[in-house]
Amino acid sequence: MPGPKPNKLHDELDALLDGRPVELTDELAPLAEVADALRAELAAYQLDPGVADRHLERVLHGSATVVPLRARAHPNGWDLRRRVAAVVLAAALVLAPATMASAAALPGQPMYPFKRAIEELRIASVQWSPSREAVERTRVADARLDELTQLVNLRIFTQVPTAITALSKAVQEAEAAVDDATREGEPVARAASKLSAVKVAGGQVVAVVATTVANPSSLPRGTREAITAAVEQSQGVLPVPNRDTGSGAPSGSTPTPPPASPTSSPPSQPPPNSTPQTTTTEPPVTSTTLPPTTTTAPEPTSTEPTVTTGGAAGGGDGTGGDQQTTEGAAPAEPAP
Amino acid sequence: MLGFGGEREAVSKVGLTAADLVAARRREPAAVTRVYTAYAPALFRFFMAAVGDHHQAEDLTGTTFLSAIESLPRFRGPIEALGGWLFQIARHDLYDHRRRQSRSRIEPLDDNLNEATQVAGVVDPEELAVDRVDADRVVAAMRQLSDDQREVLLLRMAGGFTAPEVAEILGKTTGAVKALQHRGLASLARVLGLRSPEQPQERPYPSPDPGRLTSQEEEER
Repeated sequence: MPGPKPNKLHDELDALLDGRPVELTDELAPLAEVADALRAELAAYQLDPGVADRHLERVLHGSATVVPLRARAHPNGWDLRRRVAAVVLAAALVLAPATMASAAALPGQPMYPFKRAIEELRIASVQWSPSREAVERTRVADARLDELTQLVNLRIFTQVPTAITALSKAVQEAEAAVDDATREGEPVARAASKLSAVKVAGGQVVAVVATTVANPSSLPRGTREAITAAVEQSQGVLPVPNRDTGSGAPSGSTPTPPPASPTSSPPSQPPPNSTPQTTTTEPPVTSTTLPPTTTTAPEPTSTEPTVTTGGAAGGGDGTGGDQQTTEGAAPAEPAP
Repeated sequence: MLGFGGEREAVSKVGLTAADLVAARRREPAAVTRVYTAYAPALFRFFMAAVGDHHQAEDLTGTTFLSAIESLPRFRGPIEALGGWLFQIARHDLYDHRRRQSRSRIEPLDDNLNEATQVAGVVDPEELAVDRVDADRVVAAMRQLSDDQREVLLLRMAGGFTAPEVAEILGKTTGAVKALQHRGLASLARVLGLRSPEQPQERPYPSPDPGRLTSQEEEER
């Protein structure tokens, strides 16, 4: 009988489909070609991230009410009513703005992993296009900046080290994606410019954080050390404004003065030599894409947001609020 | 069995761990999200190729995932078997969907195209139809395969399963799965003009009876 035995051919084709090395015979070549074409067509079917969002919302938020199925037998009427109620509830949940719950989540909050997973899905769905991936990764970097900004404004400093590290990583990944897209000759000028704005704003926030950390009475030691380490690690990625010359930001925006603790005696960083607190901007964060949350308040004493927001400040590691007076708390310390 | 590793510290090929499975059973959001992220894209591709409609494929993906999560407390296998179990649910959902479809009226193609034209923002329905045929040439050609061949190829290519895993999902032998995938691809190659009709085959195609094809193959082994 000419040609290989059927089983051998089946095995070779199977190995080929698994990606194992196989000699590509005349018999196998068209099959491999079809398989490749089929794979390529299937790969083009991408699940819309918005739909993924809705599916997850339905599963996660439907669980509390829809799940208690058949604990015991109920009369038919009751069962029917319960089913109708469950369907109505599920429909209401689906129609509700699905991304709202997770979009505002901050590190340490229950919905935060969900938010990050959705981002991963979004990135995965655009990886076929370098320019789209660059745009998406820049958006993610912007989201990390937003989170860091909010944590600082809310004075949830226990999560700040994680947020700084995440921002640095997101910026690096976005830079790599922009570089890739540029090499491919795809237009990513807007993403690149947005990314550099995110970097500048990120550097400003980190500078504010560094200034806060410099005040030994402002935070518990463990939190301070973790923040210091994260700030140091981010130095190569996020350009910290040059404090001697007044600004490191190319856009001419105002430098970021220390937001709080006017009586600080910074041990590691020299204070700005002229008019430390009463200079221009109070808001520690002036992200280019996000509205500053406490904009242009002339008095630095306005930075006394409560730390307890989100329940993450008083974390389980005992490094909770900033009200813990370690050594000689100054009277000017903002009240928690 | 789909999985060959031990229960401890087992990691599925999509990166899920036994701890993820335990947490997903409790509906912890992070774990449920990881399971969804791991399998939803493959489920969607599977449904998309099977039904050819974006909205229906999305709905089926969501329905399958929801019923899988609700049934997860009853899943007793290792984490490596989770994918196969999920696709078994997907197959059942697909059968249900087809049964419902067969009971409902068949919409004229023109209506579908007009609606799709509006969604796609294309002016000419004919242009959209041609685009679709070009973009989904191979998937469209799969409609000429037997149910078994199509299912094997979809689980293999869209689901990313190996032949033994597909065999486990479908309740067939690995040899039968290998034979089905070979015949399916050979037929596709012929339909698409990549292989001449006079090229030698082991069996005539298309098989008049997919069930018989499988048993024949099993007899051979």
